[in-house]
Amino acid sequence: MQSAIEIRDLTKSYGDVRALDGVDLDIPEGSFFGLLGPNGAGKTTFINILVGLVRKSGGEARVFGHDVEADYREARDCIGLAPQEFNVDRFFPIREVLEHKAGYHGISQADAKERADEVLKRVGIYDKRDTRFDWLSGGMKRRFMLARALITDPDLLILDEPTAGVDVQLRHELWETITDLNDRGTTILLTTHYIEEAERLCDEVAILDSGRVLEVASPDELMDRGTDDIVVQLRDPPTAVPDFAADDDRVDAVELDGSRLVVTAQQGGLVAPDVVQALDRDGHEIVDLEISRTSLEEVFVEMTRQGEGRATAEVQQ
Amino acid sequence: MSLTSLDVTGFYALLRREVLRFVRRPRNTFVPPFITNVLYFSVFGVILGERIDQIAGVPYILFILPGLIVLGAVSNAFENASFSIFHGRWNRYIEEALTSPLSYTSMVGAYVLSSATRGILVGVLVALIGVFFTAVGVAQPFYLVAFMLVITLLFAGLGVIGGLWADDFDDLTMMNQFILRPLVFFGGVFYSLNEIPEMFRQASLLNPMIYMVNGVRYGFLGVTEVDPNLSLGVLSALTFVVVAVNVALFRRGYGLTD
Repeated sequence: MQSAIEIRDLTKSYGDVRALDGVDLDIPEGSFFGLLGPNGAGKTTFINILVGLVRKSGGEARVFGHDVEADYREARDCIGLAPQEFNVDRFFPIREVLEHKAGYHGISQADAKERADEVLKRVGIYDKRDTRFDWLSGGMKRRFMLARALITDPDLLILDEPTAGVDVQLRHELWETITDLNDRGTTILLTTHYIEEAERLCDEVAILDSGRVLEVASPDELMDRGTDDIVVQLRDPPTAVPDFAADDDRVDAVELDGSRLVVTAQQGGLVAPDVVQALDRDGHEIVDLEISRTSLEEVFVEMTRQGEGRATAEVQQ
Repeated sequence: MSLTSLDVTGFYALLRREVLRFVRRPRNTFVPPFITNVLYFSVFGVILGERIDQIAGVPYILFILPGLIVLGAVSNAFENASFSIFHGRWNRYIEEALTSPLSYTSMVGAYVLSSATRGILVGVLVALIGVFFTAVGVAQPFYLVAFMLVITLLFAGLGVIGGLWADDFDDLTMMNQFILRPLVFFGGVFYSLNEIPEMFRQASLLNPMIYMVNGVRYGFLGVTEVDPNLSLGVLSALTFVVVAVNVALFRRGYGLTD
């Protein structure tokens, strides 16, 4: 399958600061891809290189095979961008802003009018079509950013923090719209601070930190690498429990607090039956059992913390 | 979609947007030059002009008319391009065009042409005000049209550079007050080159505005203090260079990209 985005050894420096430091990444066509990272990780710089708002210092960046600098027109024609910051023309009502944007992409005036109405209806702000951007509420502004990204019917939709500052209901509506687009074949590149968003929506995520890609994997694969807590509530406080860690190398720790036993293990769902059997064998009565899966957020925090450590060590060297 | 059809539609879309921006705001774009020029004609043309003898064989009010048209046209062409680009950068909505598949040449073409259009419209407005104060004909229509086109395009191109260079709104004011205004006022709008000392006359010839004012004056009155063909040639070449610089700056992302 062709890559929607193909990145090789991409670098961007601002003086001594390396915003991107040798990024390699392939984002398959049709995928829903998440770019996660703490503030200053280089996510927005990465996106802005793709759309031509930032000039790369080195390496290669291609969108559907088009080099973002040599074939910038073809590359930009494939992309719909909803940036984090509002960058909307304040002089015109929002429908006209959409018509202008469509026009810049070579869409005729008659088609642009039709498309503008269509995308405004899709994001639910058609009745505000003659209003200027400044007069929209915060949630409507976010909806409009998505509408503008969709007006050109892009093959690649880039969403930089699309749900920042919106309420739960609108977030779910936006998720639905984006998922629907992805189901119909649009490749989505999403950056978000809401890890739950990436966990729910993305096929694959890249974790970016200090301008480097730390990991590329599906959310499930990443979560499998973390540890789960198997919390067992026993009828009576035991004097001793089986040494699970000695018997199973997936078990990291065992902690007993009165009648509450917590077994920390990788792949907790697979370890839990063994824990139950062993406790049963030793005559302990179980009254409750809960497996607390590690979240993508915990994995993310752990990975970026390690990244910080690496960066500090490099600076010290 | 082919890039050629995209170029035509895309260029037209940006040109249309730029023209609509100033057409829909006449209070900001056409009313100020209207009032300013009514004052110029009243004070310099009527009140002072009645106390001044003919210059270059024409009444003073008629002598200053072409200069006032040039002043209005070039300052509005410059202001339109510099403001539109700077405001777009300041509020970042210029990114709507920058992230599109428009070629850099199309972007520059749309900004320059729309700004030149505003300059010409203001020039026509000043001419109409002038007609209200004095009878005026067109002696050399070709030169009038050619000079008006070239000078508005040139200053629109210079306005693009100004809009890319400015870091804040004060820079825009500074360019207008400290560069454009002195060039215009020492550009032979209100006086004849033949009536100033030779040293100042020679220095004045370094001012490109002299050639613009005299070119338009030649178009209206058929009188000029410099060779109109040479002026037109030099100004056309200068316009070509400035627009080429505009395209190069857009391509480099000067003032537009990190």
